[in-house]
Amino acid sequence: MIVLETQNLSKFFDGLRALDGVNVKVKKKTITLIIGPNGSGKSTLINVISGFYKATSGRVIFEGEDITNKPPYEIYELGIVRTFQTPQPLKKLTVLENLLIAERHVGEGVLSALRHSKWLKHEEELVEKAFKILEFLKIDHLWDRESYKLSGGQLKLVEIGRALMTNPKLIIMDEPIAGVAPALAHDILSRLTELKERGVTFLIVEHRLDIILKYVDYVYAMANGKVIAEGLGEEIVKNPKVIEVYLGATH
Amino acid sequence: MEIWSLITNILLWFGLYVIVSLSLNVEYGYCGIPNFGKALSVIVGAVVAGGLMTRILMVAMGVHGDIITGSSAVSGEVTTLVKSNPLYGIVLFLVYIILALIIGAVVGAVFILPSARLKEDYLAITLLAIAETFTMVCYYNPVIVGSYYGVSVPNLFAFIPASVRYQTIVGIILITAFVVYIVLERIVESPYGRLLRGVRENEDVMKAYGRNVMNIRIKTMALGSGIAAIAGVLLTFYTLRVQPDSFMNYGRTFWTFFPFLIILLGGAGNNRGVVLGSLIFATLWELVDFYKDNIVSALHLPVEAVWLEYILFGVLMLLILFYKPEGLIPEKPIVTEPIKRKKS
Repeated sequence: MIVLETQNLSKFFDGLRALDGVNVKVKKKTITLIIGPNGSGKSTLINVISGFYKATSGRVIFEGEDITNKPPYEIYELGIVRTFQTPQPLKKLTVLENLLIAERHVGEGVLSALRHSKWLKHEEELVEKAFKILEFLKIDHLWDRESYKLSGGQLKLVEIGRALMTNPKLIIMDEPIAGVAPALAHDILSRLTELKERGVTFLIVEHRLDIILKYVDYVYAMANGKVIAEGLGEEIVKNPKVIEVYLGATH
Repeated sequence: MEIWSLITNILLWFGLYVIVSLSLNVEYGYCGIPNFGKALSVIVGAVVAGGLMTRILMVAMGVHGDIITGSSAVSGEVTTLVKSNPLYGIVLFLVYIILALIIGAVVGAVFILPSARLKEDYLAITLLAIAETFTMVCYYNPVIVGSYYGVSVPNLFAFIPASVRYQTIVGIILITAFVVYIVLERIVESPYGRLLRGVRENEDVMKAYGRNVMNIRIKTMALGSGIAAIAGVLLTFYTLRVQPDSFMNYGRTFWTFFPFLIILLGGAGNNRGVVLGSLIFATLWELVDFYKDNIVSALHLPVEAVWLEYILFGVLMLLILFYKPEGLIPEKPIVTEPIKRKKS
């Protein structure tokens, strides 16, 4: 079943065609990877899907519904959550608070905040859930540390934890293992695989093919705002077009 | 007796600054809105008292004419009325406060509406510009609060002997400040406070997690402005006058710059710090004001004594920013009951 689909999606910045008629399909319970050299339009694609950029033309379909150009908070409502290329911790908030903030809270209005009895139960549930996720990610010992004190790898985990808090259907990740030590990267990816088996779908942009390739189900290769190839992991790395624009430099 | 008037003055400014600085702390310290137009909401409070309430009372009492003469007539009548029946004074007082809270909140929301989408620097400039424009309109338009002539505000506590009037008003201001502290502390020690801090730290993340950041900013400004407007009303009960030229001369220094100074001194994002900051500020202010001629002549300073406190507070602001940017009591994470249990 197709969860997310883009149809001829384009995004122009003045003259620059950052996305030029992109067609991508993401199947349920899979990890779909997007690769491509710098400036090929991968991050732009994520930004358009998650509502941070407005599409110039084309459509984004999520579970059969047209979500093109909806504001980010409406897209979130549907069960799509994204992470950013550089981790975006809420710096002065603790690790736990970074997770608690993800889900909408019954006590986060001016007036409802006053009535503590109204939101204490929800708060309790969220705290429990956050601790379960922190344990799953093996960072529960860091729970009351302010997030600006964490290392880059730990921040990536906090970011993933925050995404998990919302019980999302689709998690879009912009370079989740960039700058992470290989051992931790494998650790993160095997956790994502575990989540995939529980029913979460992933759309991931990543450069480090050596590590990620064996975890992904399907790959799209982009260059100059266009999809130049698609297929299974092993096929893609052998595709001459892909080797030319992307892998050529390293091989 | 001089020492008593000094203490009364310290408490007066302490109370007023607690209210205004706490309201700014919700906007700036928690939500990260650089409200450089804070003075506007205090002025709105004064305009509600001097302009709107005066007109309502003029209609209710059948007083005709412009607001300048009308306000003196209304003040005289209300004062007589209150002397004979204190209940009128208390009810009217509550009406003034509630009306200021509501109108202040509405004006605050409208005030940020054109700029809520903007990033920090632009937001600050827009808020400053709108506040300045409003101040000038109040100053030059005699219909609002009498322009150059100003208007009178009735003495709602005329039933209290004149000898203790100031002390009573100061007491009322302190009680109001205490209530504001309790209410705001309860509001921010909650998921709402956490949400505001999230918006301050990273707007994009909050958008990605389904929050309408513009909406949150508008509501927060409504809350902060409503509370600051109460301080504006309370101040008019102290002076019994509304003088728009004082908006021009003191507004932005007293009700924008000083509250920012207090927040930075005490600790942005921490209400206790802001209360401490207000106390230190009010005490220093009154002491310097009291002894400034002695200080200037004793130290042979090459400045006019009137400017001494402004110079000192400007220097203080710079020192805080250089050496103690997180303030005297730094911000703390929000620990709700369930988190507290986890901790133990």
